[in-house]
Amino acid sequence: MFNTTEVYIVAHSLVPGGRHYEKGLKELFAEAFLKVLDQVGNSNLGAVYVANAFSEVLQDQSVLGAFLSDYVGLRRTPAIRIESGDGSSGVAILEAYNMVKAGVYDCVAVVGVEKMHDVTSIKLNKALATITDYEYEGFFGITPAAQAAMAMREYMLKYGYDYEDLASWPIKMHERGSKNPYAYMRKQATLKDVLESEVIADPLRLYDAAPAVDGSAAVVLCNKPLRSDAVVRIDGIGIGAYGTYMGQRDTLTELLSVKDAVNMALGMAHSSIGDVNLVEVHDTYSILGILALESMGFVRSGETPRLLSTGALDVGNKLVVNASGGLKSMGFPGGASGMYEIVSMVMELTNQKPFDSLGNAGLGVVQDMAGFDLVSTAIVLRRVT
Amino acid sequence: MVEQKLSIPRYWRRTPQYYRLEGVQCVRCGRVYYPPRAVCECGSREFKPYPLPSTGKLLNFTVLYSVPAEFEKMKPLIIGIVDLGGVRVIGQIVDCMNPEKLNPGMEVEVVFRMVKMDGTYGLINYGYKFRPIENC
Repeated sequence: MFNTTEVYIVAHSLVPGGRHYEKGLKELFAEAFLKVLDQVGNSNLGAVYVANAFSEVLQDQSVLGAFLSDYVGLRRTPAIRIESGDGSSGVAILEAYNMVKAGVYDCVAVVGVEKMHDVTSIKLNKALATITDYEYEGFFGITPAAQAAMAMREYMLKYGYDYEDLASWPIKMHERGSKNPYAYMRKQATLKDVLESEVIADPLRLYDAAPAVDGSAAVVLCNKPLRSDAVVRIDGIGIGAYGTYMGQRDTLTELLSVKDAVNMALGMAHSSIGDVNLVEVHDTYSILGILALESMGFVRSGETPRLLSTGALDVGNKLVVNASGGLKSMGFPGGASGMYEIVSMVMELTNQKPFDSLGNAGLGVVQDMAGFDLVSTAIVLRRVT
Repeated sequence: MVEQKLSIPRYWRRTPQYYRLEGVQCVRCGRVYYPPRAVCECGSREFKPYPLPSTGKLLNFTVLYSVPAEFEKMKPLIIGIVDLGGVRVIGQIVDCMNPEKLNPGMEVEVVFRMVKMDGTYGLINYGYKFRPIENC
């Protein structure tokens, strides 16, 4: 099929992650969505894609899209809820992209929304356990933190790292977050802070986990840009999968769904890893950020902690990793977390504050993932003007 | 009324797995899977039950302090991956007072234990857990 339609990100917004006790899913959704609606003016939105992982478990709400779109006055606009665990956002972008690319709609909105703080942390753990194989993992008390912890142990043994070496991830992400007004964690962390934080799942500590937040973030995708400068286009989008039950894996230190997703996305964008200037990875746990970077081929296996601590992945280098501070500092709003990464990447590529020092970075990759290597997406964004 | 959080049929239909660690073996190529699946990597859809051996080796583990609601009274949980005759299974490691003594390569055996329960009068779910053979 001959199809020359391009897909542009023409508007973006986010509600900084936090404990928004006074707002429900509807208010959070409206806050992010109305901002992008105002940016695009009268654009005819064909549909709204809603990325959300846990509304059934945390808010007793199904068919979420319908209730959210009605709340913002879009009674006749279909709202399609996408659930793919903490990787819902990337899949929502993929589906929305396909509808614009195929010419079904000129413009669609994609909104991620999640409220993690409607329940206590032990109930939240139960919700998070649903992104494991519940019959054979969650049933026995296994959570994503336990899975990440075992991956971390294997990584440390394989490459001869101590826990202190891997602390470079949270320290670096907090440093970035301290300069980002959209971040939830805005204070720097010292090695001492990290080493003294409580153990969640040995060797994983509190500072290795992205803090659960309530939040919402939105973009609008259209088949043409709405202005002439700072235009961001989706040049490639990919998705990958790699099995489920943790026992079936030969290794916990390579994320094969991530590898497939990024290869598909870069192939579509006619680009290679070496062309990429900026990357935002899904660091729900430090180790998952490290493994994602290495599985995509941005960093040689086992090198990330070393490169981070020498500053080789900071602003001013060929590749900048998680300029936003990642989910570690932006917060972890469940199925909406990928939307935070995408909105951050759009701001980075267009040099909006606080990312004005990133210079002329042309190509960015956003990586999103559900659970431990279950389903991953990668999105290649290019600044075209 | 007893608050029923655990579903009887959901649990009952998995008792061959939860009670006996019953995996499946492909009749065509001999590959063994746990948990069971419907299609083998060789393409075959014909399997026979394959109970896993009751001893094996610990491969990896973590001590989990932040647990889901129904495990609150049992925390911390030790979660481990064990190799049972070439098949890897993930589950709880029990009867280990000193997790710092755990090491990859350690011999473990399968034990049958309570996994979770519905309050004082409710349903109890049982299943496999793993115990180090040497004192721990």
